[in-house]
Amino acid sequence: MGTAGPQTAPLLALSGVSRSFDGVRVLDRAAFDLKRGEIHALLGENGAGKSTLMNIVTGVYAPEGGRYLIDGAPAGIRGPKDALKAGIGMVHQHFRLVDRFTVAENVLLASGQLGLFANAGEAARAAMEAGKAVGLAVDPAAIVGELSVAERQRVEILKVLALGARIVILDEPTAVLTDQEAGALLLAIRKIAAQGRAVVMITHKLREVAGHSDRVTIMRAGRTVISGAPVGTLSAGDLGRLMMGEETSPAEAAEAGVIEAAAPITIAKPGEERLIVSALYAGGGQGSVGVSDVGFTLKAGEILGVAGVGGNGQQALAEAIVGLLPVAGGHLTLDGWELGEFSVARRRDLGLRVVPSDRFASALIGELSVADNLALTRVRTGRYRSRLGSWLVGRRRMKREAEQAIEAFAIAGATPARRARLLSGGNAQKLLLARELEESGSGVKLLVAHSPTRGLDVKACAFVHAAIRKAVAGGAACLLISEDVEEVRALASRILVMSAGRMVGELPAGASASQIGALILGQA
Amino acid sequence: MAKLDRVRMAGFLAALPLIGGMTLQRRQAAGPGLAMLSFLGGLAVGIFIGAVTLVAAGVPADDLLDELVVQVFLTSDGLAQTVVLATPLLLAGLSSAVASRIRFWNIGIEGQLWMGAIAAAGVALFHIGPEPLRLPLMMLAACIAGACWIALPLLLKLRLGVSEIVLTLMLSNVAYLIMQHLLFGAWQDPSGSFPISPRFDDAATLPGLGWGDVHAGILIALIAGLALWVLMERTRAGFHANAIGLNPVAARAAGIPVAATVVLFVLLSGALSGLAGGVIVAGTEHRLTQFIGINMTFSGIVIAFLARFNALATIVAALAIAGIYNAGGTLKVFYSVSDGVVVLVEGAVLMCVLIGQFFSAYRIEFARRPATVEDAEGEAA
Ligand SMILES: Nc1ncnc2c1ncn2[C@@H]1O[C@H](COP(=O)(O)OP(=O)(O)OP(=O)(O)O)[C@@H](O)[C@H]1O
Ligand SMILES: [Mg+2]
Repeated sequence: MGTAGPQTAPLLALSGVSRSFDGVRVLDRAAFDLKRGEIHALLGENGAGKSTLMNIVTGVYAPEGGRYLIDGAPAGIRGPKDALKAGIGMVHQHFRLVDRFTVAENVLLASGQLGLFANAGEAARAAMEAGKAVGLAVDPAAIVGELSVAERQRVEILKVLALGARIVILDEPTAVLTDQEAGALLLAIRKIAAQGRAVVMITHKLREVAGHSDRVTIMRAGRTVISGAPVGTLSAGDLGRLMMGEETSPAEAAEAGVIEAAAPITIAKPGEERLIVSALYAGGGQGSVGVSDVGFTLKAGEILGVAGVGGNGQQALAEAIVGLLPVAGGHLTLDGWELGEFSVARRRDLGLRVVPSDRFASALIGELSVADNLALTRVRTGRYRSRLGSWLVGRRRMKREAEQAIEAFAIAGATPARRARLLSGGNAQKLLLARELEESGSGVKLLVAHSPTRGLDVKACAFVHAAIRKAVAGGAACLLISEDVEEVRALASRILVMSAGRMVGELPAGASASQIGALILGQA
Repeated sequence: MAKLDRVRMAGFLAALPLIGGMTLQRRQAAGPGLAMLSFLGGLAVGIFIGAVTLVAAGVPADDLLDELVVQVFLTSDGLAQTVVLATPLLLAGLSSAVASRIRFWNIGIEGQLWMGAIAAAGVALFHIGPEPLRLPLMMLAACIAGACWIALPLLLKLRLGVSEIVLTLMLSNVAYLIMQHLLFGAWQDPSGSFPISPRFDDAATLPGLGWGDVHAGILIALIAGLALWVLMERTRAGFHANAIGLNPVAARAAGIPVAATVVLFVLLSGALSGLAGGVIVAGTEHRLTQFIGINMTFSGIVIAFLARFNALATIVAALAIAGIYNAGGTLKVFYSVSDGVVVLVEGAVLMCVLIGQFFSAYRIEFARRPATVEDAEGEAA
């Protein structure tokens, strides 16, 4: 133990930490420290190195030099196990739960108490108690696969608490939540900190920084440009400027800071009817919510927002339109074509594009290269046919187009040959958008976008919104399904509210967040 | 409680990479150089362990190099024998590789091989078709029979989600019994009491190439290897198959014709196994016998994994494995080394090669003690 003693030394302190992957420097002498009882916000653009820094804290990656102290003494962390022993727990950007296990089993699995005769009940009960103390109750007997996103996240946090973690790291915890859910979570986080633990919260939502954290660390291109500044000393404009770099104009930075509220609402002039959904039934059963008796019409040049708490049938609605889920009743027509029996491929040929809510589960293939992921939907059409024969695939065009897409969508850390899995969360999302929207937006007739800006930084968010608007201005229609009320308000020309598989109300553009919230909660 | 066992198992697996101060890092992509190096490195270590085992079993150390390398790869006769052994191994390896690409686990290579052998033998024994077309017909019949034998598990998997692993394995036993039934009955050579069929006509045997016992089957196998490489690496169907193998959900959502691609690759797998059977009876045995194809499932899978499901690499892997089997045969006969020791040596070599491959995909990182690592601070100052 150092002379400073555990009372005054920071709980955790890193300095001069670097890390490269295959010759690319991802972290460059980063510094970071944590105090007991604080909530520490970690900010930075997509690919800035936030997740990587936290992966070093949790021992997943070994640092290339630098100093790592816990309680003022060398941490001696040589792998994830050491970090767990030191009381460091992390909830990752992409959840790591065993869907077929119960909540209790998942918690037990993480608790490291799996001796030959582990007392399952005991460990699970302790975790549930810990959860209740901070307002995160979940039924221990529930099967994780049947839980909503917000509940799954609670399970992830319970896992960390079950380890008796002193340091709780949350990687973009509110990205997947509705405002109400996020509010509840932020309260719980405050309680966790108040127990004397330290909480790290990685986030792209600047409004969460001001109200709900104590200190901020900002990363840019692998460096910590601000390390542990008290939140009160920085305005939203400052935060934006520090994240994006000095060359950003104050106006741009200020706009970025409040982008969600300031984004103008565009009401495109609606054209002909694109998508007609009538009395649709699809999915449901096995604990998931399906679509019951949903009907609406979506016109060209229109963005129809579907707001609601995640897990209320949004997934089934999107999958039924895309063709992954059979239509059990009712009709779906796109540009006059009855979609009922059409394959996914036929629907895509009609101009249907999709951004699903879980990118690596159902849209991207992590083990394939960036170029292959971009080509995934197009190889079938013969776009990359080689000169030697139409059934051969020519790689050169694929590579060229990949380079263009990386450039056009500013996908940081990507090369055509690099595996998609290695991209940061936000950049993986950009890759998906690049594929689905193409550069020109031509050929897109209907875009089904489910939480399209999940995990994106403010700049990328604005970029995606602009891309969607551009596609719609070009004659496409967009069904925007989102848990983020602000996003729906910013983009949609009409808003439907979905609850328990049904549309429970419709609001015009310009509806206030509280009007939408009231419908979501069934109070209207 | 069964569930808790699953929990424990998963916990165990999760803990595996955490041993000591090591973490496993997946490499970006193993370059061909690195892949080759780890293959050769693994081979070298495996051969060393094998050599020590053999010396302990009484083989003179002086003879080892000769038997393990020179006699199986560097002399004309030895290499010819290795190539003969490699011919069906290559087809079986391709069969496994093509199915594994889409994560269809074909554990019934032997069954498809036997059905292929029976079909080819049927064409030969009953003089079906004109003589000049006899061999092509036999090979075609072998392919069709193999494909049919895998079609049932394929259908059940696609329609009902039944596991192909159990079904293909069980159907192997069925095929073996059918073959025995024929060899002890209708197709038994009347001129003897052995369970073998009559010898085929000359029109039904693959011509030799004038080099040991090497026959035209190796050309068939090599052409199949090249064709499959083109299919898997350069065509649309191959691109789609790759995507399906890695993430079938995303592949479906991307509009890829999943079912059609799966059907194509699985039927091809069965056809290649069947072809292996046809090549064995027409090329080396010249009759149907009950010992052909034994161990082909195991060997085919090992070869495919060694080659990481790459068709060209499968050719190399098949030759390497054939060399090991060839050496094993000699050791048994001339040094009266027991069967067990030979299998032990083969196993040691295979395991080392596979472990070598693991290191071309992953890198072990030993965390340096962070307390002593302050060099970067000096840099920062
Ligand atoms: N294992 C790896 N191999 C190679 N590159 C990696 C690896 N992990 C991360 N990277 C690269 O390091 C950079 C930083 O990634 P990181 O995940 O830390 O970003 P992030 O700040 O968390 O971004 P986001 O907000 O998008 O999640 C990215 O360009 C990413 O491609
Ligand atoms: Mg991240």
